[in-house]
Amino acid sequence: MLASTKHILPRTNIRRERILPQLGRVVARRMQKVVPTDVVAEANLEPEHIMIDLTQGLNVSAAKANDLLQRQAGDVLSKGDVIAGPVGLFQRVVRAPADCEVKIAGEGKVLLEKDTPSYQLLAGMKGTVTNIIPERGVIIETVGALIQGVWGNGKIAHGVMQRLSKDLEGEVQAKQVDISFRGAIAIGGYCKDPEFFSTAASIPIKGLILGSMSSALIPVASKMEYPIIIIDGFGQKPMNTLASRLLITNEEKEISLNAQEYNRTTGKYPEAIISLPSPDNFNVPKDTDEFSVGKKVYVDSGPYATRIGTIEVIPLKTYTFASGIQTQAAEIALDGNQRAWIPLKNLEIIET
Amino acid sequence: MVNTNNNLSSILAVDIGSSTTRALLFDIVNTKYRFIAEGSAPSTAGSPFFDIAECVWHAIEDLQDKTGRMMISDAEGLIIPSTMDNNGVDAMVATISAGKPIRVVTVGLLQDVSISTANQLASTINAQVVEEISLNDRRQDQDRINLLLKTRPDLIIISGGTNGGASKSILNLIEVVGLAGYLTKDDQKTHILYVGNEELQEDVKDDLGKISNLHIAPNIQPSLNQKQMYPAQKELAEIFKMIRRKQIGGMSEVLTWTDGNMTATATAFSRMIRFLSRKYEPDKGVLGIDIGSRNTTITASFEGEETLRVLPNLGIGAGCQRILKHVQVSDITRWLPLKIPDSFVRDYVNNKSIYPDSLPATQEEIAIEHAVAREILRATVKDILPKIPEAFQKGSLLPSVEPIIGSGSVITQAPKRTQSLLILLDGLQPAGVTTIALDQNGLLPSLGIISDINPLLTVQVIETSTFLNLGTVIAPYGNARLGTPILRMRITRQNGEKTTRDIKYGTLSVLPTSVGEQVTLHLRPLHGFDIGMGGPGKAGKVSAVGGSLGIIIDARGRPLRFSPDPEKNRKRAKKWITSLEKFA
Repeated sequence: MLASTKHILPRTNIRRERILPQLGRVVARRMQKVVPTDVVAEANLEPEHIMIDLTQGLNVSAAKANDLLQRQAGDVLSKGDVIAGPVGLFQRVVRAPADCEVKIAGEGKVLLEKDTPSYQLLAGMKGTVTNIIPERGVIIETVGALIQGVWGNGKIAHGVMQRLSKDLEGEVQAKQVDISFRGAIAIGGYCKDPEFFSTAASIPIKGLILGSMSSALIPVASKMEYPIIIIDGFGQKPMNTLASRLLITNEEKEISLNAQEYNRTTGKYPEAIISLPSPDNFNVPKDTDEFSVGKKVYVDSGPYATRIGTIEVIPLKTYTFASGIQTQAAEIALDGNQRAWIPLKNLEIIET
Repeated sequence: MVNTNNNLSSILAVDIGSSTTRALLFDIVNTKYRFIAEGSAPSTAGSPFFDIAECVWHAIEDLQDKTGRMMISDAEGLIIPSTMDNNGVDAMVATISAGKPIRVVTVGLLQDVSISTANQLASTINAQVVEEISLNDRRQDQDRINLLLKTRPDLIIISGGTNGGASKSILNLIEVVGLAGYLTKDDQKTHILYVGNEELQEDVKDDLGKISNLHIAPNIQPSLNQKQMYPAQKELAEIFKMIRRKQIGGMSEVLTWTDGNMTATATAFSRMIRFLSRKYEPDKGVLGIDIGSRNTTITASFEGEETLRVLPNLGIGAGCQRILKHVQVSDITRWLPLKIPDSFVRDYVNNKSIYPDSLPATQEEIAIEHAVAREILRATVKDILPKIPEAFQKGSLLPSVEPIIGSGSVITQAPKRTQSLLILLDGLQPAGVTTIALDQNGLLPSLGIISDINPLLTVQVIETSTFLNLGTVIAPYGNARLGTPILRMRITRQNGEKTTRDIKYGTLSVLPTSVGEQVTLHLRPLHGFDIGMGGPGKAGKVSAVGGSLGIIIDARGRPLRFSPDPEKNRKRAKKWITSLEKFA
C-alpha cells in the first residue's frame, strides 16, 4: 500500500522551488548564497488601475476628447504629466494623478496602471540558488537537517535555536520566555495559553517551533509577526521524539523557519531547515513509500498520535478497532517497549 | 450529442476523489447488467505525483488483482474492447471530484436577482464564488477592473437581463469585464460564461470573444418568473472539464481513455438523482447527499427539475475544519453519547483536516466524526432549502422526498447500520413519510455518467445492487409535551396480522419487519400533528417496505430540540442509539 512520508531527517539534500504566483521578475542570481529573508523574485500581483473620463475632465464630447489626447497606450507618466488638453478659455488639462502607465486610451477615456509596490518572494531557507526559472522564480538547494510541520502562520525568519524546556514534552509557559530569548528561535512542547505568544512577541523572539498547540489558539498564532511552526498537530501532545532529538542535538545552531501554510495538494509544508554544509552527496528525500515490515513509522492520528515505532506485522486480514472500523492495520513496536495495532491510514513512513 | 450503445457489455467506471480513486467494473451476468467489483488506490492529483493517470492506473491494477481479469497491458495500455477470453472492457468512463474549488466571479445586474441566480449556477460545480460584481455594489468601473485582476478567477459568470429586457446596463458591465480581460496576459485568459439577455449574445461575442475563452448558454432567467438552469449547467460542466484539464495533470490521458466521457462527480450524482425522481413517486422529490473528504454535494429533484449544491471545502476529511465556520463546537458535542471535552473535539476536527485519510480508532473519535457528519448535513440542508422550487418548499422542514439516498464513506461505511441511519435522520430531519437508503457501493456518480452511453446498464444495476434500504421512516411533526401520544398506527402485515401502536412524542422506535416485507400502515396523527398526508391531523394509509432496520418511527419532533444541560443531551443520544440497536 502506498504510504506518505514524514520528513524528519538529520542530514539530507534539500531542494526547493520558490515560485511567484504569476509572472514577474527574478532578482536572485545563479549560485547566489541566500538567507530565508532575502528577496529572490518580485511581481506586481495587484496592479491598481485608474479610469479617467476625459469628457468630464475637459468638459468636451468623446470625439473632441480623443483629438485632445496627448498620450497613447504604453506611455509611462509621472504624477502631474498632462494626459489631454489644453482646451477652453482657461486652458483646462487632465493630468496623471500618480506615477503610472497608459494601458488603454480612446472613446474619451484613459485607463492608467499605477506604479504600485511589488510583491516580494523571499528565499524561505538558507542555501544556494542553483537554478533560475525565468520570470517565475528560483531553485534553492542546501544540505542539512529537515523537519516538516503541519501548521504554519505564513511568516519566515532565521535565527539561533534555544530550548524552552529540557525535553520539549511539556506545556510552554509565558514565564519561560525571558530576555535571553531575544532574537532566538524558541523550541518547546505544546501551548494552550494565548499569553505565551504575546509575551514571546514582546521579548521579541524571532520564531517558534512547537510540537502541538490547542487549535483554539489558531487565530492568535496566525496574527503573530514571528513564524510559528507546529510539528505534530493540534492538542496537548509532546513533540515527537525524532524531531525533538534532532532539534536538541542542533541547539544553538542557526535554523531557517518557513512557516508557509500546509497544503497537502501542492505538497507545501511549513518547515525548519538547519543548514549543515557537507562535501558528501545526499539523496533528495522520497515523498511516498510502501509499507513493509521493519519500516520506521510515525503515528499521525488516534490514541498513539506523535509516537514513533517500527512495523512488526502487516496481516492480510483486516483488524477491528474499538471504533468498530475494520481496516488494514499493522502491529507497531512503539518507543518505550509498547506494542499497538494501528490503521495503516494513520501511519506515515519515516526515512532513515 | 452522445451516442448511446446498449451493446457495450462491460464498462469500467473510474471515480477520482480528492482522497481515494476507485475503479468499478460493470458487466453482464445471466443476461443482466451487474456491478462486479471495485478496486481502489490513493488519489494522486496532488503532491508528489500531480498526475491523476497514476492513481487511475493503480486503481485498475487493484481491480485486476481482485477480479483476475486483465484490463491493462504493458504494450497496449487499457484493453478496449473486451476480448473473447473475457479480458479488457468495452468502454471506460470517469468522474472527478479531486482538485481545489474553481474560483468564480459572478457579474450581474442586481444582487438579489441575477447575482443570486448566477451563484446558484456556480454552486452546481465544485466552485467558490470569490467575488460578486453588480450594478448596486456602488463600485466604480476602475475598482471592478482592479477586483477582477486581483482575484484572478478561473471563470466569470455573467448573467442579467431577461430576454428583450435590460441591455445598456449589462453592456456596461460587459465592457468592464472586457477591459479587465484586455489587461490579462494571454496565457492567463479567463473562461467567461454568458447566461444573460439572449439578445445581447452577438455584442458579447464582439466584446469578449477575443480577450477570453468565451462560452454562451441560454439565459438562466429568460423572464422574471422563469428560471432555466439546466442548459447553462450542462455548459458549465463542460467548462469545468476544460479548467480541470489545465489544472490537473493526467486529465488529458484520462479524457483519451474515456473518449471524453468524463464529468464532475457532483454533476453525475445529480443526474442520477434526477433519473430516480422520474422513476419513483412523481408527486414527491428525491434527495441525494454525498459527504466527501473535501466537499459535500446535495441534490434534490422534483418533477425532473433538479437543485444541485456543491459545498466546497466542507467534508469529513480535508474539508472537516470548515464545519467550525458554520457551527460552534457545542453544536457538534450536543450529538455525542460520550463525555468528550470541547477542546478535544475542536482539536480532533482540526487534525482531521491535516490528516484527512486517517481513520477513527476509538469510540470517542468515531462519535466525533459522526457528530460532525450530522452538522455537515444540517449546514447543507440549510443551504439547499431556499433554492428548492417554491411549490415544494415546506418552510424550515425538509420537503417531501422519497427516497433519501445517503452516500459518502462516513455514512455508508459506518460500522453499524444504525449509525448510518441516525446520521441521516439527525442531520436531515425528514418530516412525514419517506425511505432512507444508502448508495452502499458509491455507484451513483458512475451510473450517472454511464447513463449517457448505456442507459440500460444504469436501469438494470439500479434495480439490483445499488441501494441498501435502511427502512421506511415515519416522522410526525408538531408540538406537544414529551410523552404525549401523537400518532396511532394500525399495522397490517402480509399474513393478515393486525396490531395497533400509540407513538409518544419524544421517542424513537422501530417496528421490526423482515427485509422487503410489505406492511400496510394506517397512520392517524393525534393532537394536531402532521405526517404529510395533507395537513395537521390528516390520517392516511401507507404501504411500507421493511428495510434492513425495519420501519422507523421518529417522533422526536422537528426540529430536534436540545437541552442546555449537556449531560441530558448525552443521555438522550445514548437512548436514541439503544432504541435502534435493540432491533438491529
